[in-house]
Amino acid sequence: MKKTTHKGKRSPRKPTPLHGDHPNRETASAASAPGSLAVPRRTFLAGAAGALGLAAVSACDWPAFFQQNFRRLTPGEIDETVARLQAQYRQRYGRDFQVDTEGPIDGTLFAYALDIQRCIGCRKCVYACVEENNLTRDPQIQYIRVLRFQDGTMDLEKSELYYHPDRVPEEGYYYMPVQCQQCANPPCVKVCPVQATWQEPDGIVVVDYNWCIGCRYCMAACPYMGRWFNWTDPVLPEDRVNTRTHYLGNRPRFRNVVEKCTFCIQRVRKGRYPACVEACPVGARKFGNLLDPASEIQWILRNKRVFRLKDELNTQPKFYYFFAT
Amino acid sequence: MEKTGFIPGTARRLVQGPPVYYAWVGLLLLLVTAGLGAYVRQLQHGMVVTGLTSYVPWGLYIGNFTFLVGVAAAAVLLIIPAYIYDFGPIKEIVVVAEALAVSALTMVLLFVTVDLGRPDRFWHLIPGWGILNLPSSLLGWDIVVVNGYLALNVLIPTYLLYKAYRMQEPNRRFILPFILLSIPWAVSIHTVTAFIYNGLAARPFWNASILAPRFLASAFCSGPALIVIVYQIVRRYTRFHVSDRALFKITEFICWAMAVNLFLLGAEFFKELYSDTHHLAPLTYLYAGLHGKDALVPWIRTALAFNIAAFLIFLVPRTRKNFVTLNLGCVLIIVGIWIEKGMGLIIPGFVPAPLGEVWEYAPTGTEVLVTLGIWGGGILLFTLLMKIIIPIETGEVTRGSPASPPATVCAVSPGTGPEGEPLLGG
Amino acid sequence: MTGSGPTRRIVLLLATLTAAAGLLSARAQPSGEPPDPGPGPARVFQAPAAGDAAEFPVPMKPLPKTITPCRACHGPEKDFQINWTREEGLRVHTHIRLNHGGNKVWCLDCHSPLERNYLRPLSDGRLIPFEQSHELCGKCHGTKYRDWRHGIHGKRTGNWNGDKTYALCTQCHDPHSPRFRPIQPLPPPAKPRWPQETAHHP
Repeated sequence: MKKTTHKGKRSPRKPTPLHGDHPNRETASAASAPGSLAVPRRTFLAGAAGALGLAAVSACDWPAFFQQNFRRLTPGEIDETVARLQAQYRQRYGRDFQVDTEGPIDGTLFAYALDIQRCIGCRKCVYACVEENNLTRDPQIQYIRVLRFQDGTMDLEKSELYYHPDRVPEEGYYYMPVQCQQCANPPCVKVCPVQATWQEPDGIVVVDYNWCIGCRYCMAACPYMGRWFNWTDPVLPEDRVNTRTHYLGNRPRFRNVVEKCTFCIQRVRKGRYPACVEACPVGARKFGNLLDPASEIQWILRNKRVFRLKDELNTQPKFYYFFAT
Repeated sequence: MEKTGFIPGTARRLVQGPPVYYAWVGLLLLLVTAGLGAYVRQLQHGMVVTGLTSYVPWGLYIGNFTFLVGVAAAAVLLIIPAYIYDFGPIKEIVVVAEALAVSALTMVLLFVTVDLGRPDRFWHLIPGWGILNLPSSLLGWDIVVVNGYLALNVLIPTYLLYKAYRMQEPNRRFILPFILLSIPWAVSIHTVTAFIYNGLAARPFWNASILAPRFLASAFCSGPALIVIVYQIVRRYTRFHVSDRALFKITEFICWAMAVNLFLLGAEFFKELYSDTHHLAPLTYLYAGLHGKDALVPWIRTALAFNIAAFLIFLVPRTRKNFVTLNLGCVLIIVGIWIEKGMGLIIPGFVPAPLGEVWEYAPTGTEVLVTLGIWGGGILLFTLLMKIIIPIETGEVTRGSPASPPATVCAVSPGTGPEGEPLLGG
Repeated sequence: MTGSGPTRRIVLLLATLTAAAGLLSARAQPSGEPPDPGPGPARVFQAPAAGDAAEFPVPMKPLPKTITPCRACHGPEKDFQINWTREEGLRVHTHIRLNHGGNKVWCLDCHSPLERNYLRPLSDGRLIPFEQSHELCGKCHGTKYRDWRHGIHGKRTGNWNGDKTYALCTQCHDPHSPRFRPIQPLPPPAKPRWPQETAHHP
């Protein structure tokens, strides 16, 4: 049976379940029942299925689904993405979020130094980071892990993460916080199958949360427990969200993607210290621009004895530990 | 011989069969449905329904993925004698191994998919549209080689079977390059899978040169063992003929592969125990427990016992050629390698964690159901493929005239078999 | 002169007035400015206009309200004698617990004995005012002082490439008992939700 299609032409006598359905099928069946308003069953079912499918499909967030990797987006697309995210956050958290997308400052390469002589293990840095970076409280993610060692050893297997004495520092122990080391030769970047994580020119290793497929290969590759996975939807206390965020940093994340410390990219790209640096009560944390000869970091590297964790793995961390004495 | 349209005929054959067939398919469909339901639950709640944590981010799914890549790669063990050495008994039956490889590869892809946090973002892996991080990412390479091997294993048997169905001579010049390509490719899929783990300096248990050879050795044990069992089932329930000589030759391969596997295990033990560095910790965790955590110890010791027992069974000709002990050996090997290469490889890689903690892993019910569902689906696929392939292979189903016997590379000609015994069917 | 009653009274009154004037003038100084040298021979130490001092303005620490110009009570012409050797049991300043350097350091190692409104002088004789007490700390704690000048010792907040705020020694350390007391740590991390087990060693 030869059918001629007239796109868009509809029989006015019949209700059309789906826009664009073959009108001639209806006219053909209408011809068989002139004057009747009944829709042939096959047509109705096809139309209903199509309508349901279309409804389901249009309920999906198609711009989110088709969003490209952040590095491929044009400035206009970035603005659209930010607007979409802000709408999402407004709906979810009831607050207006600022989602920056600024790039690195020219001539910067960030590095961090931690005075292992000074750290008292108070964990103020841990919780400052949790607040600043909108880390989920339950399940809990903490970028900074403070390890306690007994004097005389730096054997990680003999370290203790869950110490909870009345007072710190404790006699006979010392403390070493560990977080993402922002390696210059990062194994996590090497292994990501979709390049959802990469190293920015200012040295920060970032994750595009909207591109990550959640395979967790990078977590297997990281030697420092620097990367964490959202096994379910993150839970933030509604009254304590930090609304000053960066797209590649502390904007609220979603389930099933990987996240990590970004040296507080939302702060350092505006010239401020990371939250952990400012929180440390004894000033054990130092941060600066490796390319600036007058920076604190450079002074430390020139004048203090520094070491890096697991140097033999050649990850070239930009997180130094030093002894100030 | 039936002369009927291919699709309707095949469809009919798929839904018709003896009662045991219905029971079998019914059971598999039940598993698939349960698995699907569990996976929907995983999609709804997030991966928190699994037993995975940020300390052990890979578990049951990736363990099965690793094991099944080995099974798929083992098909090459039959391709080489069949096509390169023209070894008659195996040449006749290699297509079943290829179908097994197809089922295994389908399961591999399914396991990777259910392990992804965001499977809806699968398109990020497609080069051009998304980004496939080659040559840097081994997971990227794995996707390329696994899909390529799947394509090869679909192309080659389909072409040969099609020619058999049409009762035509296959064009060797066309198909032989693909067959030859599939041999190094089979080795490569499992090597790439090994390299996924091997390249991670953060995980000293995997960061050992011995990993890729061990992978291949254990794959060449488990895959052929599965094939041996499958062949016995196929020849029991169909007119497909599999000679004992072929089966015994395969078990010889298994024996040597297991010898290599055990030797490499011994080498691993020596290196870690003698050097006695921190890198001994994962091996200690696996075989003896570490700091009181020893959930895997009974499993791996069982696996080791199974492997050694199976090796001895296959070593001694009397037990190798006795079908009771042969099948026992096959089952022991499959279970032993599944433990050793599945959970026994993945979990110790994460223990101790990079900062020294020891956290274990146990799969949840959801994970187990999804795993069973995928296994059910893979076995179901294999069953259906057999339902299509075997009748073509035995010459029951052709599209040509009955007068001209099929003269194909791997179909069995009616008449006498290679050992002179009369064949059924025809 | 032989004191007749009224003359002595006038002299006493004048002395009292002078003292009161000195007292008031000292108290009237707004915090942040160097104190009036007052009667006395010392030249006040002025912090050199070093580069970093100009770039990173240091918030001056206001002196505690309890502190009085020490000259009000101490000085050669006053009643109290100068104890040149350590004497246990500081008579008046009983609220100060001295726990600095054990038995190697005591009050007059930091406070100038002759000019109690100032701290000990630098090697060229210039006395150190309380507001620049870090110069005094640096005499013994040279490495820490050098580290502090470069921002390594002590906390800095603000901008890594701009204005920073940092603290003077006495803003964090009590100069009489400088060692920090241990504090209560914040809670440890939660253990992985699965499996529910204790940490890896007792």
